[in-house]
Amino acid sequence: MAKEEHLRKELERQRDEITRQRNEIIESIQYASLIQTSLLPPGKVFDKAFPRHFVLFIPKNIVSGDFYWLVSKGHRTYFAVADCTGHGVPGALMSILGISFLNEIVTMRDNLPANRILNLLREMVMKALHQTGDSTEALDGMDISLCIYDKGKNILQFSGANNPLYIVRQDVVIEYKPDRMPIGVSGIEEQPFTNHYIELKKNDNLYLFTDGYVDQFGGPEGKKFKFDPFRTLLLKIASLPMKEQGKILRETFEEWKGDYVQIDDILVMGINVF
Amino acid sequence: MKLLAFRIQNFRSIIDTGWHRLSSDNITGLIGQNESGKTSILEGLRSFYDGKISEDVLRSDLSMPEVSCLFSIDDLEIKSILNDKLLPAGVSEQIISEKAICLERIWNEDLSSRILLGGDKVIDLFAQHDKTVALKNAKMEDALSAMLEKKKEAIVAYQQAEKEQLKVETQLDDAKATMNEINKSLRGVKKAEEKKKLQKQMADAKEKVNQIKSLLHEKNLEVQELSKKVQAVSEEAKYAELNREAWHEYHAVKKELDEVFGRLTNLQRLYDHALTEKERRAIQLEMDGVNDRYMKLLKEYEQKRERAIKRRLLAYKILENTPPAAAEKEVEREQPHLDPFYSRLEAGNVIMEHIPEFVMFEDFSSLLPNRIDLEDILSGNIAVEGYKAARNFLEVAGLDEDFFRESNSRILKQKIEKLNKDLTIDFQDFWRQRIGRHNKITINFELEHYDHTHPDKSGFPYLEFWVKDRQERLYPKQRSRGVRWFLSFYLELKAAISHKDFKGKVLLIDEPGLSLHARAQEDVLKVFEHIKEKIQVIYTTHSPHLIDIRKLYRLLAVQRNIHNDENSESVVFDAKSLTSASADTLSPIYTLMGSRLSEQQFIQKKNNIILEDLTNYYYFSAFYSLLGYPSEAFFLPATDVSNVQTLVNLLMGWGLDFIVVADESPAGVKTYEDLKKSVYGNDDTRTREKVILMEGFQGVEDLFSTLDFKKFVLHRRIGIPESNSDFVNDNKLSRTLLASNFLKSVQELKITDFDEETRENIERVFQAISDRLQPAD
Repeated sequence: MAKEEHLRKELERQRDEITRQRNEIIESIQYASLIQTSLLPPGKVFDKAFPRHFVLFIPKNIVSGDFYWLVSKGHRTYFAVADCTGHGVPGALMSILGISFLNEIVTMRDNLPANRILNLLREMVMKALHQTGDSTEALDGMDISLCIYDKGKNILQFSGANNPLYIVRQDVVIEYKPDRMPIGVSGIEEQPFTNHYIELKKNDNLYLFTDGYVDQFGGPEGKKFKFDPFRTLLLKIASLPMKEQGKILRETFEEWKGDYVQIDDILVMGINVF
Repeated sequence: MKLLAFRIQNFRSIIDTGWHRLSSDNITGLIGQNESGKTSILEGLRSFYDGKISEDVLRSDLSMPEVSCLFSIDDLEIKSILNDKLLPAGVSEQIISEKAICLERIWNEDLSSRILLGGDKVIDLFAQHDKTVALKNAKMEDALSAMLEKKKEAIVAYQQAEKEQLKVETQLDDAKATMNEINKSLRGVKKAEEKKKLQKQMADAKEKVNQIKSLLHEKNLEVQELSKKVQAVSEEAKYAELNREAWHEYHAVKKELDEVFGRLTNLQRLYDHALTEKERRAIQLEMDGVNDRYMKLLKEYEQKRERAIKRRLLAYKILENTPPAAAEKEVEREQPHLDPFYSRLEAGNVIMEHIPEFVMFEDFSSLLPNRIDLEDILSGNIAVEGYKAARNFLEVAGLDEDFFRESNSRILKQKIEKLNKDLTIDFQDFWRQRIGRHNKITINFELEHYDHTHPDKSGFPYLEFWVKDRQERLYPKQRSRGVRWFLSFYLELKAAISHKDFKGKVLLIDEPGLSLHARAQEDVLKVFEHIKEKIQVIYTTHSPHLIDIRKLYRLLAVQRNIHNDENSESVVFDAKSLTSASADTLSPIYTLMGSRLSEQQFIQKKNNIILEDLTNYYYFSAFYSLLGYPSEAFFLPATDVSNVQTLVNLLMGWGLDFIVVADESPAGVKTYEDLKKSVYGNDDTRTREKVILMEGFQGVEDLFSTLDFKKFVLHRRIGIPESNSDFVNDNKLSRTLLASNFLKSVQELKITDFDEETRENIERVFQAISDRLQPAD
C-alpha cells in the first residue's frame, strides 16, 4: 500500500510539474503572440491606405506562420500576404524574419519593382538561413503575394512566390499566376520572379490569400474546400461592402470546418481601391 | 594538400614578406629586378622543405630565419594524419574551420631547425593547453611537498614526545628513590614526632610518584598515538618520496650526462685542432673512453627519465585517491613517458610528411648529360654531372635496375629501341611547339660499355644520350642550351608526375627558359597550364613572355624597400597591390602591354574606351562580345582607377580620341570630378560628353542582377542581399580572377541567357557608350 501511495504521489507531482511547465510555455507564446501582432500593420494604417478592405486572419495556434504586411511610401503602397514554412512557433519566427526583411528592403531601396523586391527578399532569407542549395538542407522559406499600388498612376504591380492574386472585375475572377518557386532555396536553381503590371478598373476587388482557406477539410464529405468554390464564393460576395465580405468568408469557413480540426493558419485580404 | 600561402622572415634580403597567397590556379610568378629578392623567396621555400640553409642566408643582425607555409587540409585528412595522439582542445576545430594548416620552420643558431605547427590561433590553443597542464602539475607538486612536510612534522612531534616520555620516566625513578629513602629512614625512627614527620613526607612522596605515573601514562599514550601517526603519514608520503627520489636520481644522471657531453665536445674541438697525428691518436683514445661513458649514461638517463615520469604520474593518481595497486596498474598501461598530446613539434613533423614535395628545378644539375655511368645512377651518386636529369630520364622511361640485368644483348637492344620510340612519341605529344625550325625532335639513349681506351672503367656500362632531328644526331651538350633546357624540363615534370607515390609537388623554378626564344618561353607557360592540376609552379621571371596579361592575379612583385638600395629589405606586393610596386619592377608587364600594342591594336585613333582596371576590362570585353556590338570600340584598362587620369593625359598628348567609363564608387566619382576640374574646365556638360559615370553602380559587378552574378560569375547558390561588388570585397574574392573566368566562359553564352535586370543594366551602359562613339571609317 505504501508503495502505491508513493507512486500516486509521484504521479501527482509529475502532473503538477507538467501543468506548470505547460502554463509557462503558453504564457510565453501568448506574449510572443503580442509581439507578432504588434508587427502586423495596425488597422489605422490599413484604413488610411485602403479605407475599403478586410483582413480575415485566423491563426491555427496562438502564434502564426502567416502574416500580412503593408507600408506606404510616397504615392506607393506596398502590401503582401505570406505563408511561412510550418505554423506555430517556427512559422512565427520565419514570419518575423519576413516582415523585418520587407521593411528593410522598402526603407533602403527606392522604387524597386515588385519582382525585384522578391528577388532581394529571397537573397536575404537564403543568407539568413545559410542556404546554399545543398540537397541535404531544410527547404525553409515562405510563399508570398506582393503588390505595389501606385495611386497616382492607378497601376498595380504584382509578383508572387507560389501565391496568386485574384482580381474580381465585373463578375469575372482574373487570376494572376505566381511563379512556381518559394522565397528561399528550392530544388531548382533560383530564377528571377515575374513582374505583372496591372491597370486597375473601377470597382476592382483585389484578393490576396494563403492556402489555409482552400486546404481546410470539412463539409459533408470531409473534403478540402478547394479553389473553384473559393472563386465562386468571391464572385458571389464581391459586390458587398468589404467588411461584410470578410464576415461572410469567416462564417463560411466556420461552417465548412464544422467539427474538423483547423489544419493551417487562415489569411485572406480583400481590398477595393475605389 | 596544397600550398596556399607563405611567409618568409630573416632570409637573405628579406626581413618579413608578410603572408602572401599563391595563385589559386597553381601558377604563381615572381617578378622584380635583379637582386630584388625573388630567388631568395624560392630558396626560402626550398629551405622550408629540406631544412637546409647556409651561413650566407643569415642577416647581419643575426636574427634567425623562419619560413611559414599554409596548406589546404580537410577534416578527413586531419583526422587520418594526426591520429596517433590527441590535439589540445580546439586545435582540430580551428584547423577544420579554416580548412588550412600552418607549418613554421624555425632555424637555430647552429643552423639546425625544427618544424612546428603554427598559426596564431593554434599557437594560442597550444599555449593554453600547456598552461593548464603546468598549473595542474604545480598543484600536484605542492600537494606532494605538503605531504612530505607533514611526515617531517609528525616525526619531529614523535621524537619530541619520546624525549618528554624519557624525562618523565627519569622523574619517576627519582621520586621512587626518594620514597625508598624515606621508607628506610622511617624504619629506624622511634620518636613519634619524627616518625609522624617522616610519614607525612612518605605520603607526599607517594602522592608525587602517583602523579608522575599518571603523567607517564599520558606520555606513553601520546607517544603511541604519534607513532601511529608517523606510520600513517609515512605510508601516505611513500609515493611522494619515491617520486622525489626518482627525480633526484634523474637530475643527477642528467647533470653527469651534460658534463660528459661537454667533455666530449671539448675533446672533439681539440681533435679538430690537433697538430700532430700522435696528438690526434691520444685524443681519439680518450674520446673513445668518454664516448663509451656517454653512451652508458645516455641509456641510464632514458631509464631514469622514464622511471621518474612514471613515479610522478603514480603519485598524482594516488593524490587523486586512486588506490595504490590500481594506480600502479594504470601507470603501466598508460605509458606516461609518452605524452598523450601532440606537441607543436610532433604535430608539425607528422604533417610535414604529408605536404607536397618542394623541388627546385636547377638548370645545371638538371641538364641531360652526354653520358653517365650506370653505376653512378643506380648508386645515387648525386655529385656526378647530369645525375638528376638522367635519373628523371630513367623514371620517365620506367626503367629500374632489373631492366639492365637482361643478359641477352639483342633483347636488351630491342627493348631500348622500343623505349626510345615511346619516349619520343610522348615527348612530341607533350611538347607540341616548334623548337627552332625543326619540329620533330627525338630522344635516344643507348647502353654502351667502356672499351680499352678507358682502362680504369673498361667493361663497365654507361648510358649515352642523343637528341636527334631530321638532319643531325647530336649529344645533348652539342644542342643549344635552349633545347637542352626544354628537354630537361620535360624530363623533370614527367618524372614528377609519373612517380608512383606522387603526393603533389611544388616546383620552384628560377628564371625558366632563360635561354629560350620568346615563342618557346610562351610555350613554357603553356606547359605550366598543362601540369597545373598536378604540380604547383612558382617561378621567377624578367620575361614578359612568361606573363599572361589576362592573368595578372598570378603575379607577386618583389622589390627593395628603398629604390636602388641593394642593402634595403625585400618587400612583396600581391596582385591586388601591384600598383604600389615601382615601374621598374612592373617593367615586364609594361613591356608586354607595349609589345602587344601593335599586335592587338589596343589603342586606336578614335573610340578608345578607358576603363578603371583589368576587372572592368574583362567584363566590358565580355559584354561587348555578348551584345555583338556593331560599333568599333577599343577598351583600355588603367591599372587602377587612380591611374585613369594619367591615361587620359597620355591619349590627349598623343592626340587620340577617347571616352572614360567609371563606376559610382567614391573613387569613380572622384575620377569624374578630377577630370571635370582638370580637363574640362569644371563644365559638367563637356565632362559628360566624354566621361560616363555608371549611376547606381558601385562596381562593374553590380551591372549583373544578383541572380546572374551568382549563376554566371560566382557559380554558387548562396544568399547575397548586399550588392555584388560589396560581396566580392567583403569576402576578399579576386575580382580580376572572377572577371577573367567570366570572359572565358562568355563564348558559350547569349545575351538572352541573362535576366531582364542584367540586360537592362548592360544595355543602358552600352547605349551611353554608343552615343559617344564616332562612326567607323
